[in-house]
Amino acid sequence: MTEIILMAHVLFGVGCLIAAVWLFVDVLNVSESNLARIRRTSVGAAVFMWLAFLVGGYWYVTAYKVDKAVILKGPWPFAHNMVMETKEHLVILLLLVATYLPIAASENLVQSKDARKLVLWVAATIAVLALAMDGEGAIISMGVKVALMHH
Amino acid sequence: MENTTLSKRTVSFGLALAVACVINAIIVVVKEKSDAVMGAMKKVLGHHWTTHSALIVALFLVLGGLLGMARGGRGIAISTNRFITTLISAIGAAALIIIGFYLFVD
Repeated sequence: MTEIILMAHVLFGVGCLIAAVWLFVDVLNVSESNLARIRRTSVGAAVFMWLAFLVGGYWYVTAYKVDKAVILKGPWPFAHNMVMETKEHLVILLLLVATYLPIAASENLVQSKDARKLVLWVAATIAVLALAMDGEGAIISMGVKVALMHH
Repeated sequence: MENTTLSKRTVSFGLALAVACVINAIIVVVKEKSDAVMGAMKKVLGHHWTTHSALIVALFLVLGGLLGMARGGRGIAISTNRFITTLISAIGAAALIIIGFYLFVD
């Protein structure tokens, strides 16, 4: 069950990343015809991020201690000491930025250059942070794998 | 300096986001350096990270609402460039503090 939870966490996180990139491209080509889709996508990115956060948070609080013990006994202790410690706090930034995206996207993006500029920055920030989370998650998984192979 | 054309809500929650990000990074440093703070955060919601997350989300929501009431309900006056620079710099600074702390200090 914990593996399903963990895979759902990754799935929702990737959903947020794809939504942010989709929105970025849509805003570059904004018009009255895609404005509603941009706003729906912004809400989608926020919902995906909240799901990823809640599912991942549940796993972290209830199940991670087993993986942590394995990682710390293996050859990659930094996968916890540096990478997981960083990830669990950077993800809070990502959650807030994704929550803010629908607020920024509620502006009139067709008429306001200021609003377009803001939303592009916010979407790009989400994409960068989400990619970082994805990479850190991979390193943590590898930390468990190399520890298990080592013993 | 020309004030932004962005809505009061967008500016208020954007500035709240900037503040919450920096406070998030400061809490990381404080709780990792203080056993008393870490212990207290574990007690509140059962896990330091749960308490930490709830605090930051609450700060973002409350501060966003409060900043919208500034200047008699007209919100904060700021130019768009300054607003975006503040927002992205705060997120970047918070990320660098967290990464730097676990990379070099902890």
